[in-house]
Amino acid sequence: MKLKWVSKAFFIKGLFVLSLFLLIFISSISYKHITSLTESTQLLVHSYKIQIELEQLMSYMKEAETGQRGFIISHDTVFLEPYKSAHERVNGSFLILKYLTAEQKEQQPNLDSLLHLLNYRFELLETSLVLAVNAEMNHNELDLNLRRGRDVMDLLRMQVNKINEVEMGYFKLHQRKYEHEIFFTPIIAFLLLMFTLMVFTFSFIKINRDLVVLIKSNKQLIIKTESINHAEIIGEFCTTQWDPETHRYAFSDNLYRMLGVEPQSFEPTIENYIKFVHPEDRKTVEESYEQTTKENKINPLSYRIIRKDGELRYFRSRGKAVSEGQRNITHIGIIKDVTQMHLNSIELEERNHALEQSIKELESFNRIASHDLQEPLRKIQTFISRISEKEALTLSDSGKEYFEKILTSVTRMRVLIDDLLLFSRTTKTEKVFEPADLNQLLENALQELSHDIEEKNAVFFIPKLPVLNVIAFQIQQLFMNLIGNSLKYSKPGISPKIRIECKKVMAQENPILKPLNHNAFYKISVIDNGLGFEQEYAENIFNLFQRLHHEKEFPGSGIGLSICKKIVENHSGFITAEGIPGIGSSMHIFLPK
Amino acid sequence: MHILLADDDEDDCLFFKEAFEDIKIKTNLRIVNDGVELMNYLTRTGIKLPHILFLDLNMPRKSGLDCLVEIKSMKHLRDIPIAIYSTSASEADIEDTFVKGANIYIKKPGDFGALKKTLEQIVTINWQYHTSGLNKEHFLLSI
Repeated sequence: MKLKWVSKAFFIKGLFVLSLFLLIFISSISYKHITSLTESTQLLVHSYKIQIELEQLMSYMKEAETGQRGFIISHDTVFLEPYKSAHERVNGSFLILKYLTAEQKEQQPNLDSLLHLLNYRFELLETSLVLAVNAEMNHNELDLNLRRGRDVMDLLRMQVNKINEVEMGYFKLHQRKYEHEIFFTPIIAFLLLMFTLMVFTFSFIKINRDLVVLIKSNKQLIIKTESINHAEIIGEFCTTQWDPETHRYAFSDNLYRMLGVEPQSFEPTIENYIKFVHPEDRKTVEESYEQTTKENKINPLSYRIIRKDGELRYFRSRGKAVSEGQRNITHIGIIKDVTQMHLNSIELEERNHALEQSIKELESFNRIASHDLQEPLRKIQTFISRISEKEALTLSDSGKEYFEKILTSVTRMRVLIDDLLLFSRTTKTEKVFEPADLNQLLENALQELSHDIEEKNAVFFIPKLPVLNVIAFQIQQLFMNLIGNSLKYSKPGISPKIRIECKKVMAQENPILKPLNHNAFYKISVIDNGLGFEQEYAENIFNLFQRLHHEKEFPGSGIGLSICKKIVENHSGFITAEGIPGIGSSMHIFLPK
Repeated sequence: MHILLADDDEDDCLFFKEAFEDIKIKTNLRIVNDGVELMNYLTRTGIKLPHILFLDLNMPRKSGLDCLVEIKSMKHLRDIPIAIYSTSASEADIEDTFVKGANIYIKKPGDFGALKKTLEQIVTINWQYHTSGLNKEHFLLSI
């Protein structure tokens, strides 16, 4: 873009020089042409002058002749007057001719012979006059003389014509040369003029087009400037410009607004600006300014501002040096009002702190629950076992029964505490996802349950399970809880059949799966032939402490399935339950692929 | 056989004592009530070191875990087999004590019969053998 402008400037200058040159050329040609025309005219005038003078000369000669003739006839001396004056005039006329033709060499011999003839003619005239005094005596001689005079006159006329012709020839030659010249000059001049006009027209169009672009750019600049002004107001930031050559600042209007003063109400200098900076932060801002001006380094900076109305604001600034080639044109600074952000982050920090505090409290509660709450219960158990053992003989039957009931309650209390702890641990454990073979995890779970499996004589149908990225011990717990439930709620007297299924499903095929981050899931189902449950409870059974059976029938804490749900959620999965009373139940877990 | 128990709970100490009285093996039981007392006893000159130490984790003044670390850092005490004897059996506690060199982890049973059975099992273990084949699966004693 920059290069384009530079070349454009050169182009326009070149056009101007060319046009100027052409104009000078045309002017010089015209000048030459006019000069030549003048010269030609002068030459023509010159020729006419010679012609006129020659005719004058001849007419004087005739006058002299007429005077002489008159005297011969009348012998009256009156006629001698014009004769004498004619002689003088002829001399004068000849001198003029001599002067006019002074620069024409070829006319000189002609003039010499003219003079010779003139002199001879006057000699003859003189002789005739002398003879005419005694005309009768010299009759023959006078006659001869007069005849000779007429011949000389003819010669004179011829000579005059000759001079005239030479002059005309000279004139015509010049005229031809001039016409030759004048034939081409107008064409050249016209073509050049046309060319110049073209150049001018082209330049005009070009300049005009540039002007249109300029106007458009200008308009865009205005729009951009306005946009920035508004963006600054809405975005709560402002810009500064610093010129490294003049060391002068320019502040945008919003800077003043951010300081709570009218736009451009003070001179944009660092000194004036620093007056608004919090006294504790002034040093930092000054140092940064020094760095900017001396080392050309612009570092991000955070500081506080006290507005005109006394309000404390938090500002953050960043800068950038804008350069063209090697030269630094300006330093642009962006200052943002981050007060809200700052306050938010403080609030967030406080909340975080509170959260951490409550997590710590929860942890200590867990410790208390796991240790301190268990201890008295365990002691009660132990003391009861001591009594049952030592005082077996002294206790009545009802006493033994009461002790039995106390023992059951205490045991249940311990199970509750243990399960609650397990549930809270499922929630807060650090989640380490590692690829694990689900077949292995299932096998581990069955191993843990081996006692119950043997006791109930359960039969399993197990497919091949995938390797997934999971929290291994949680998935094992999940299998344990699900299979444990199937064993627990089996039909009495019938060996439980537990079938495990596994297949891939796509998220969009199954309405309960929201394709949040995953498209494909593994659906792993645990299907049994146990007691089953009413489908209406399918949602409830995952809630904490929700139980479908009486404590007496099936002792338990009501936490097992809640733990399952938690575990599946930890894995971004889903769990659903289906049940038919008397037929069996199916638990489906969906784990992302 | 010298047995040392470190436990602050009087009742537990009583159960422990009674259980050993019932067991047919001839034992010499010594009880200390907190971590500081334990360390003072063990570092006293001229005492006979126990064949096995039962260590409660939750004790005043100095916790069982601290004692464990201290014992394992002392050259002459390092080889005493240590059985952790605690009410809780949290994953964290089990992991921690295993890593720090305890030999076995016992969750205090709620039944006196079970306690007797457990203690009998522990004192009859050949620790020389047990230590060499130490692994985490068998660390937590299940009864």
